[in-house]
Amino acid sequence: MAGTYATDPEWADVSPIELNDGSESGAMPLATIAYPSDYLEATSYLRAVMAANEMSERALKLTKDVISMNPAHYTVWIYRARILFALDKDLLEELDWLNGVSLKYLKNYQIWHHRQVLISSKKHFPTMPTKEPDFLMEMFTQDSKNYHVWTYRHWLVRHFKLWDSPREIHDVEALIQSDVYNNSAWNHRYMLRFGPRDDQPDAGMINAGDSSASPEEKGRLTVVDEDLVDAELKFAQKQILRAPENRSSWWYARGVLRAASRGLEEWEEFAGRFVDGEQTKSSHAVEWLADVYAEGEKAKAVKMFTMLKEKYDPIRKNFWDYRIRQLGVVA
Amino acid sequence: MPLTIAGRHRRRVRFPAANLLPAITSTPGIAAQEKHHQQQPQLGLQDHPPFQPPSKSSKSAKVGKSQKSTTSSGMATQHEPRPGIPSLFTQPPPIRDPLTTETIQLQETTLEKCLTFLKGLHPSQTGPFNAAGVPALLREDHVAYLYESLEDYPAGFVAMDASRPWMVYWALAGLTLLGENPTHFRERMPLGGFGGGHGQTSHLASSYAAVLALAMVGGTEAFALIDREAMWRWLGRLKQADGGFSVTEGGEEDVRGAYCASTIIALLDIPLALPSDAKKARDAGFETLTEGVAEYLSRCQSFEGGISGSPGVEAHGAYAFCALACLSILGAPEETIPKHMNIPLLLSWLSARQYAPEGGFSGRTNKLVDGCYSHWVGGCWPLLQSALDGKPQTTGVPSETVGSLFSREGLDRYILGCCQTPTGGLRDKPGNATQHYHYRTNVSVSPGSAFESAFSWRSSPMAAEEEVYEPADRLVAFHPLFVIPYQAAANLRLWCESHPISV
Repeated sequence: MAGTYATDPEWADVSPIELNDGSESGAMPLATIAYPSDYLEATSYLRAVMAANEMSERALKLTKDVISMNPAHYTVWIYRARILFALDKDLLEELDWLNGVSLKYLKNYQIWHHRQVLISSKKHFPTMPTKEPDFLMEMFTQDSKNYHVWTYRHWLVRHFKLWDSPREIHDVEALIQSDVYNNSAWNHRYMLRFGPRDDQPDAGMINAGDSSASPEEKGRLTVVDEDLVDAELKFAQKQILRAPENRSSWWYARGVLRAASRGLEEWEEFAGRFVDGEQTKSSHAVEWLADVYAEGEKAKAVKMFTMLKEKYDPIRKNFWDYRIRQLGVVA
Repeated sequence: MPLTIAGRHRRRVRFPAANLLPAITSTPGIAAQEKHHQQQPQLGLQDHPPFQPPSKSSKSAKVGKSQKSTTSSGMATQHEPRPGIPSLFTQPPPIRDPLTTETIQLQETTLEKCLTFLKGLHPSQTGPFNAAGVPALLREDHVAYLYESLEDYPAGFVAMDASRPWMVYWALAGLTLLGENPTHFRERMPLGGFGGGHGQTSHLASSYAAVLALAMVGGTEAFALIDREAMWRWLGRLKQADGGFSVTEGGEEDVRGAYCASTIIALLDIPLALPSDAKKARDAGFETLTEGVAEYLSRCQSFEGGISGSPGVEAHGAYAFCALACLSILGAPEETIPKHMNIPLLLSWLSARQYAPEGGFSGRTNKLVDGCYSHWVGGCWPLLQSALDGKPQTTGVPSETVGSLFSREGLDRYILGCCQTPTGGLRDKPGNATQHYHYRTNVSVSPGSAFESAFSWRSSPMAAEEEVYEPADRLVAFHPLFVIPYQAAANLRLWCESHPISV
């Protein structure tokens, strides 16, 4: 093998470990890749330095080279993080480089985990790097629903206790303003407003994962700030008026009411405004009314579920029939 | 020119890179499309782009095999759907908001593309179509494609180097579903540990894929390849203080980790007691590998009702499958699911994943339908159905069941109409959930074990008269938790039980 590393004096003392995928033994491995020679060479040197657990500048450079050829190579990312800490490298510089890689490879678990590992270092980052939210918003201009970025942002909120940070809610509002159907932004908003704080384990809803609480109690606050709840309901109504057939905003409102242990019936009139025979503007409003009526006026609930099943959401016919059966009324 | 390795002929994989691998495609058009595509958990560390329609739709292209149609074609105009298709699958939804945003634009584009396929009018759809207007499964093309996909990939696939166990699992699973016998690949299974490849750290996703691939080829030689004691120690080191599992040492923790670990533990009869060096888990007070997993999953249910990759993140169809399958491995679904999940919220969210007219599932609220969710979201339904049906009373098909709560017809139309590529290969896995009724019995392959319930599943084909596809297009039934044939799962478990490891 001859190439960049084989002829480089800096690497002269390393014996590369060549790829062994089983074919040496005469077996014919499945799903082989005709690797480019530079990748084969770089990964041969990577195996060698990893076997020696080498923490060096040259190994750091090598990891960057491998990442540039295959950013999904999770092993090399973990090795790189270890070297960065061992050599006490400038992590802000690493973040700068990482930003470019992140924008190039939008869907990659390793990049975002690497970022989390770096930022987790309390020694280097006692507070959040100031440019972090700007960079995340730049990522969202590429894909406003990027699951990796949102997962990271959620972690960031918890790590630096940013629930009440004006910047967080500001960014969420900007994203909802530009695309009210961005469900990722709605989820983040819910976590800022009603998610567990640092006195409880992280969860999608409070009261989850505690074997003493039943799933019916999930998401219900013990102490309710009614002003906050009212403000969030108002916000949801405003967004529903912009786009009535949007599951995100209707289900956000359900989450808010649930947090406050308030019933859906307080929105009966509001939901009713979108349900008007042939002029019906929202299947979610129909479902809302069905759920309100299911508590008492079962015949009316059946009527609403029937509208969904026959006209507004017929692909879910079996589910609506199930809901009707659950009402326990004789057809 | 066939490549020759070790004196044997090999075929090059001929499918275009763009069909399989967005990561290496750098043309601007594909990158732009890629950008908005849903994230899927890289259980397979890989993503499939939505189908790419040919640039032109030419009427004259629709010749040839379409004449084999079992119905008169009725193709007077380009826009008239084939006969037999209900309007639910040929018309846009009745309510559309006046507001237009990026989400709406993407949705409309996808819907338009799907409609052409659903109506059976795309030039690449050469039939035959049945009386319900549904195209046949292109079985021979898919089989040929899958055999090829086990061979040599061009250099551009270097970005898949950490996913080779997946490439093997996907292809073997696809072939097995289509009725092929994969056992002759035994001699070609990779040796050694279960990272992505030589010199790569062990990873739960690679290990899951490798164990399932070994289970499918079967046989003592394949089973004996697995170092179960090393696996046990390694799983102990991956277990975290909050009950979940990280996917690799030093890597991220999410519900993929919990599901892959539970699958491996159950199939390989791994001892449940934590190894002595399982430091994080022991410090947190756990004594077994499975303790705290269900509580961790409970914290992943979002306010929408669905389940996220890790606590506090948006609900996502693929993670929902991982979590529900994991709960159904850890115990009987009628106990574990209602105990840890709010069922009414979960049902509503899961049901809302199916769209019309597309018929397929989306992974998240206000995202697009995608073939891969036929597996992820489709796979949730038998588990929830079993949870709602309660404790099995008989050795056979239950006499009372809540039944199917989604539209199998919609999903069938989407898979056969929109997801098949004419040169073989699907835009993702076929939807096994639509063709077989999966249920549990009161008889287990592993009675008395911690995983008694996980090994008590059976399946029976759905009655043909209720279906829109042809009987010839039926696939082999896969186990709803382990995603390999029932017998392959039972064989591996029983072999491991009869070869216990001493720890």
